[in-house]
Amino acid sequence: MGKPKIKPEIKTEKVPALASKWNVVVLNDPINLTGYVVMVFMNVLRIQRPLARKYMLQVHEEGRATVWTGERERAEMLALELQQWHLNALLEKDG
Amino acid sequence: MAELRLTMTAEARNVLTDLLRLIAPAAARVSVNRAKIPNSDAEVAAFWTETLSSQAAEEAHLLATAFANAKGEPAVILLKNDGQAFAFLRALSAVRIALRELVFADIPDSALESSELLDDESLPTEKRHALACYSCFGLLQQSLIQQLDPEAFD
Repeated sequence: MGKPKIKPEIKTEKVPALASKWNVVVLNDPINLTGYVVMVFMNVLRIQRPLARKYMLQVHEEGRATVWTGERERAEMLALELQQWHLNALLEKDG
Repeated sequence: MAELRLTMTAEARNVLTDLLRLIAPAAARVSVNRAKIPNSDAEVAAFWTETLSSQAAEEAHLLATAFANAKGEPAVILLKNDGQAFAFLRALSAVRIALRELVFADIPDSALESSELLDDESLPTEKRHALACYSCFGLLQQSLIQQLDPEAFD
């Protein structure tokens, strides 16, 4: 059997893994007023009132809500900013 | 934003000022201790802690100064812009959290959300006093938020 006449271009490369996503989670607390929480969500997350109210109700009724998901650096900034408003915010790796 | 005037009786101002002298320095510490700071990266954690700590100290100072300077009857606190109003709101929140964690941590969350607790004669005097102040700070926050965002509580 002879050698192949076509020289195949074969190579192996490392492909960077897709960056992990991070969740910004807000936990319920009995201290902050509902209107305060809505106002903070609107200001920090730059979202409209209906969504801010939805998140606030979810936090109040279910004990927690994921209010933002995305790349880590931005998630850290948002979680820090929410904590600066004294909301009970934390970071969680998505999935 | 127009100037905001927070008005209260001189008696309320005196009671709240006395309490703030005790609780404001602790409020800064509590708000940092309570925060869930990611610890996977030492540099990020240090920046995070420093940011929360310096802001909390500034706000505690702002609140204590505002109440101490609110003279007259009724006592008036003037907030000149959005920045001051938001800082004041955050500071009130920090003080309420500190009261909750340092003075009545034993009270369940559900009970704390009920104003009936304030009339509970079985509580020690100091605790009832702190609860009344906690409620007062909440009313101040509510009043301020309603001016900043009239639909916030709808």
